[in-house]
Amino acid sequence: MVSENLVKNVVTEPYKYGFVTEIETEKISKGINEDTIRLISEKKEEPEFLLNFRLNAFKKWQKMKEPCWADLGYKEIDYQDIIYYSAPKQKEKISSLDEVDPKLLETFDKLGIPLTEQKKLTNVAVDAVFDSVSIATTFRKELAEHGVIFCSISEAVKDHSDLIKKYLGSVVPSNDNYFAALNSAVFSDGSFVYIPKGVKCPMDLSSYFRINSGDSGQFERTLIIAEESSSVSYLEGCTAPMFDTNTLHAAVVELIALDDASIKYSTVQNWYAGNEEGVGGIFNFVTKRGKCLGKRSKISWSQVETGSAITWKYPSCILLGEESVGEFYSVALTNNLQQADTGTKMIHIGPKTKSTIVSKGISAGNSVNSYRGLVKMGSKAIGSRNYSQCDSMLIGDQAAANTFPYIQSQQPNSEIEHEASTCRISEDQLFYLQSRGIEFEEAVSMMVSGFCRDVFNQLPMEFAAEADKLLALKLEGSVG
Amino acid sequence: MQIIEEIKKNELVKNPSEIQKICLEKLKLNPLPNIKSELWRHSNKSKFLSFLDYSHTKKESKVNFPYDNASQNVIRFTIGENSSINLKEENYSIRKLKDSEIFDYIKKNISDFDQTDHWSDLLNHCLSSKNNILGLNISGNKIPPIEILSASSYNSFNAKTLILFFEKNCEANLLQINLGDKNSSLCQSTYLCLEENTSVNHGVVSYGKNKSNLLNSLNVIQKAKSEYSLSSLHFKFNYARFEIRINQLDGDAETNIKGIQITKNEDQIATYTKMQFNGPNGILEQINKSLADDKSHSVFEGAIVVPKIAQKTDASQLSRNLLLSKHAKIDTKPQLEIIADDVKCKHGATISQLNKEELFYMRSRGLTLEEASKLQLSSYFQEIISCIPVSKDRWDLLDKLLKEA
Repeated sequence: MVSENLVKNVVTEPYKYGFVTEIETEKISKGINEDTIRLISEKKEEPEFLLNFRLNAFKKWQKMKEPCWADLGYKEIDYQDIIYYSAPKQKEKISSLDEVDPKLLETFDKLGIPLTEQKKLTNVAVDAVFDSVSIATTFRKELAEHGVIFCSISEAVKDHSDLIKKYLGSVVPSNDNYFAALNSAVFSDGSFVYIPKGVKCPMDLSSYFRINSGDSGQFERTLIIAEESSSVSYLEGCTAPMFDTNTLHAAVVELIALDDASIKYSTVQNWYAGNEEGVGGIFNFVTKRGKCLGKRSKISWSQVETGSAITWKYPSCILLGEESVGEFYSVALTNNLQQADTGTKMIHIGPKTKSTIVSKGISAGNSVNSYRGLVKMGSKAIGSRNYSQCDSMLIGDQAAANTFPYIQSQQPNSEIEHEASTCRISEDQLFYLQSRGIEFEEAVSMMVSGFCRDVFNQLPMEFAAEADKLLALKLEGSVG
Repeated sequence: MQIIEEIKKNELVKNPSEIQKICLEKLKLNPLPNIKSELWRHSNKSKFLSFLDYSHTKKESKVNFPYDNASQNVIRFTIGENSSINLKEENYSIRKLKDSEIFDYIKKNISDFDQTDHWSDLLNHCLSSKNNILGLNISGNKIPPIEILSASSYNSFNAKTLILFFEKNCEANLLQINLGDKNSSLCQSTYLCLEENTSVNHGVVSYGKNKSNLLNSLNVIQKAKSEYSLSSLHFKFNYARFEIRINQLDGDAETNIKGIQITKNEDQIATYTKMQFNGPNGILEQINKSLADDKSHSVFEGAIVVPKIAQKTDASQLSRNLLLSKHAKIDTKPQLEIIADDVKCKHGATISQLNKEELFYMRSRGLTLEEASKLQLSSYFQEIISCIPVSKDRWDLLDKLLKEA
């Protein structure tokens, strides 16, 4: 018999990104009202259309109610007790990385994100976001040679306002849901990517989100546009320091793929999850949605969710274009008192559209891990197909795993398949591995990694290694 | 809506019984179910209101079984017909429950019913008068098949309740028939209690006529080592809702659920099941099939709840759906809620159409498209219907009905 303590040891690992960077920041006062929004807009020197967009969203948000349908329990969020804008102080506009505060560079260094020139060997362009603002974007020149625009969304508002005007809010309208409306009103920064017609982005793009202050929320907004026949792979990572208060993170990500374009969006989310008693941690309420506008376009979401006290996240695909493809690969790990309600929506509108969903949930400790997904076949989705698979693994007898698939069809010429299963780390398998001389912890980690293999195979190289390591760390305890 | 108005104004029942009082009290504040809740959000509002549109009558026209009592020995009851029942044979006995037993049982049950989860039962108990409650205590084995008929009458709303206690070591075959008349609504609540070591094979056949509505609620409690098999068939209803709640009280029991629902024209039929495991070593095998044609809407929601105590549970649930028309709609949501870690639970769902290759094969052998489709459909039904405890001569009638449907 595996003793319960042993399993307990295996699933506890201190959060190693929990440090706070001591840096002078500029914060606005707590609370949200029209003036706050005007102030944020003014600080970012935004054009009028954007201010109106924000104000409109704020009006709608005020009339909305916080959704309560998800299987989550958390103490009420006081939206007036949050700082909606916080930025490290910078004297002037930065023209090169050398002028960035070395403390900031050090922070990202500590997180393993290479921003300085000598470390940029990995051929990944990075946009680093610290609290409410983007600090630096690397490889911009190289990307510009190919016509790829990769910058912070604040810069894009200034330099490419036509694109912002055309696409911002076109996938996730400002009144889409409570958190999207809040984000639309107060979003501070995020990444903007534009891949022109026929360009295959020469390197992976990546953004790294860091929450540093304990009382400010992070509201980033990402917009990716892939023109005809272009393709891009985008990676996203997140960490936050340990505070005993809860920090709100409400992001919106919009993807647009035109004819024959393909976007691959990968996330490794490792926000601070709170301590063992469930004190502190990030409330992660994220709206991510992609629109396959063009024919044969493809959007693929892959995510590894290991952090956050609360995760509320449903990366979705609207499959409009003929023969467009949507994919969703997810690993969600919850431990201690974490709660995750995550899944996807695949809305088939165009004919011959295809979607694949592979979701793996691992719940340990006293956590709750729910898969909630919608597959919808519209009446014009002739010849469309969906395949979903969601598997759950339970570690210990206190954790809960739930599956809520919603399946709707209005098109007889379409096929939907869904399957789900639940399992645990079997003692027979553990015994077998141990009898072959493999340590207990390693055996558990091997089995978890095998369980998640379908998803890890979909991650880009850099991330696959990181994700595997992350899961092993989260599960392996202090044993190396 | 007349019924709802009457509940609000406290005018629904003159001289209500104690049970009716409790239920009316529970419904008084919110007489209608919460349309936004998961259990009700798929309900078509206008259809649901048409279900409530008939006035509640106590007078009922006599309804006959849809087929003759043929050669085979069967025991028949019709809910609402007042007769004393006391059968004692060598191997078995069936006796009518005393009024006090029925009263105690219902009272005990409704105490923890809430308005959202048990709205159908609460409504049923508000309306169901003493005459319309049939309670039986069944024991022994080698019992001839039991058939119980419940029917609604033309242009009215009828509420009927059935309570069956199966004593220890009992083995029984039970067929429950719910008949809907033209322009009528039937609200049927059924309670089955299976003691240890019982084995019950339960068939539910519900079919209506033009514009009939049905609200069918089934509550089953299984004690250890009991075996319960349910096979159900619902068709020809303007609006029908079948709620199944099964509770394996101490685990270590076996449950089989097989159901099929057929919707045509503008029908809406919905099945909601909730399987609760409250002890270890429980087994569930469930398959629900549906077929939606024309402009109809078919709904299935199935929840499997496995708390920490229910280790070694083995549950599987499958929802298979055929969508035959581009104006029809299917919603399905199989659902798992698991805390126990040493369990095997799985579910699956598919929505598709008739298999083209099989159709082509049959047509290449000289069958017309219509014949080939019917053949394929009948094989689709067969898996479920063959489990309904119906004898051969009645089977033909069922087959005929299905062909008409």
